[in-house]
Amino acid sequence: MASITLDNVGKVYPGGTRAIGDVNIDIADGEFIVLVGPSGCGKSTLLRMVAGLETITEGQIRIGDRVVNDVEPMDRDIAMVFQNYALYPHMSVRQNLAYGLKNRGTSKADIEKRVAEAAEILQIGPFLDRKPRALSGGQRQRVAMGRAIVREPAAFLFDEPLSNLDAKLRVTMRLEIKELQRRLGTTSIYVTHDQLEAMTLADRLVVLSAGKVEQIGTPLEVYRKPASTFVAGFIGSPAMNLIKASSVPHLPGTAHAGMIGIRPEDLTVSADGPIQMKVAAVEELGAQRLVHGHIGGDAATVTMASDATLSDDLNLTYRPGSLHLFHPETGKRID
Amino acid sequence: MKRVVFNNKFLPLLLLAPQLIITAIFFLWPAAQAIRQSFLREDAFGLRTEFVGIDNYTALFRSSEYLNSFSVTLIFTVSVTVVTMVFALLMAIAVDRLIKSEKVYTTLLIWPYAVAPAVAGILWWFIFNPSIGILPYVLRQVGINFNWIFDPTDAMIFVVIASAWSRISYSFLFFLAGLQSVPASLREAAAIDGAGPVKRFFTITLPLLSPTTFFLLVVNLVYAMFETFAVIDATTLGGPAQSTNILVYKVYQDGFVGQNLGSSAAQSVILMGIVIVLTVIQFRFVEKRVAY
Repeated sequence: MASITLDNVGKVYPGGTRAIGDVNIDIADGEFIVLVGPSGCGKSTLLRMVAGLETITEGQIRIGDRVVNDVEPMDRDIAMVFQNYALYPHMSVRQNLAYGLKNRGTSKADIEKRVAEAAEILQIGPFLDRKPRALSGGQRQRVAMGRAIVREPAAFLFDEPLSNLDAKLRVTMRLEIKELQRRLGTTSIYVTHDQLEAMTLADRLVVLSAGKVEQIGTPLEVYRKPASTFVAGFIGSPAMNLIKASSVPHLPGTAHAGMIGIRPEDLTVSADGPIQMKVAAVEELGAQRLVHGHIGGDAATVTMASDATLSDDLNLTYRPGSLHLFHPETGKRID
Repeated sequence: MKRVVFNNKFLPLLLLAPQLIITAIFFLWPAAQAIRQSFLREDAFGLRTEFVGIDNYTALFRSSEYLNSFSVTLIFTVSVTVVTMVFALLMAIAVDRLIKSEKVYTTLLIWPYAVAPAVAGILWWFIFNPSIGILPYVLRQVGINFNWIFDPTDAMIFVVIASAWSRISYSFLFFLAGLQSVPASLREAAAIDGAGPVKRFFTITLPLLSPTTFFLLVVNLVYAMFETFAVIDATTLGGPAQSTNILVYKVYQDGFVGQNLGSSAAQSVILMGIVIVLTVIQFRFVEKRVAY
């Protein structure tokens, strides 16, 4: 168990390319932190820097009170679950679980006990003597988790561990990971590009874009008060509508804003509504429908009941207090 | 799957004919001839040929020269294989660690493979030549008298190096490909699991290379036993005192130099048996035992 602190952490590759800049995160003991962002935003690189698989060129990473910048991965007291599981194909499940303990000189009896415990928790007991190739994707995933928990490390690092699973299994495993982390109370950093996974798992989210932290906060904070147009467009499904303020000049209190954000579910049809939308396409979801179109020159989406009447032009009104205003140049939130 | 059916019965035969004819003329027919001849004895002037049953074989196993050739072959084959594979693996590991210049080194390291064995033999003959070669000269400076013309051990070292040299390239390529197909995440996982570089190599990388290693083991054994003829012929000619006279070279010496066709044919048949056994082992085990 330990806290993890990232202090002005940055990474510049030898060629001069900057991958990560100025990241500051304080992770409390036992906290579940999710790094989320589009592909190429540097979230995996950041995780690998915590793991010790990538060098840190700027700033400091501390696990507990110890600066680990120059500490080897094996001495950082962390365990990592890889996207492709990285199970040792020539070893049985039991050997896979025991490998890390054996390397650390744990006694045979102790190894056996801990492997049995991990197998019990993850329900992989029946497969202990199989080779990884004889397991399904979900089972491999469990073994990878098992390899992390037998070591009882200070922190778990997850690098998109669910992205190789099918959609249904992903939802189940997501829940299991959450429960497991709650039960063990181990500090965790989890990387994903899936904002839904991020929202459901995280105690706190870290939204990354182009190697920089856009926002850190609880899922609800980030959802309710996105710090920038990037976060606004990334978190939430369907995505928040971002409309140039000049397209809707008559909305009260928006004079100094450049962009106005409104969530699709905060818009309703109303004959005298102040916002005009041109409808382009409709998606039926069963319980509701998504209406896509344009407000001014910007693409926009509205969520409507599936029995609402449709026309090519809609007048829309918004729930009071649901407007998000963003600065015209920086794109940052204005409160 | 859609299958195209040809009704013409002769077209498939016609298409296969070139390969079948080559196989028949250059492999099957000579093999049959060798088996037939191994049961015959010809007199010194080639006037009479008589059937002698397995006399040629029993004579071989009573001949100390032939049994000596067996042990020479064993030492030679194992040495060539071990030297080749150890060096190839070391070089593959070294190149695998490179990032930028990997292609250049790989290309350069393949070159020896393009040199014909006979030419390689000549090159090493010059390098190792006791009177004009550079290597014995250098060794003399440090007080070692390396003379393969008189010393059986030196001769063996010489032909092992000359035979292994060009073969290292071939094994190197396979080892490099094998190393590169080990996912980086496995080594990273092992690094996090507390295994240092040496332990990682022996517990993760090497076991994952075992299919490649086994394949190369068989291929190199076959090479050392059968394809090193040109190297021996260009250098020691089996000497001194039979010390580098491997089985395959003895077949040639007894048959074409000594004109003892019956014995030579019997030796060929024994070699054929060895190849068959090696091939069977490879097919049986390479799939089952070593795959993980």
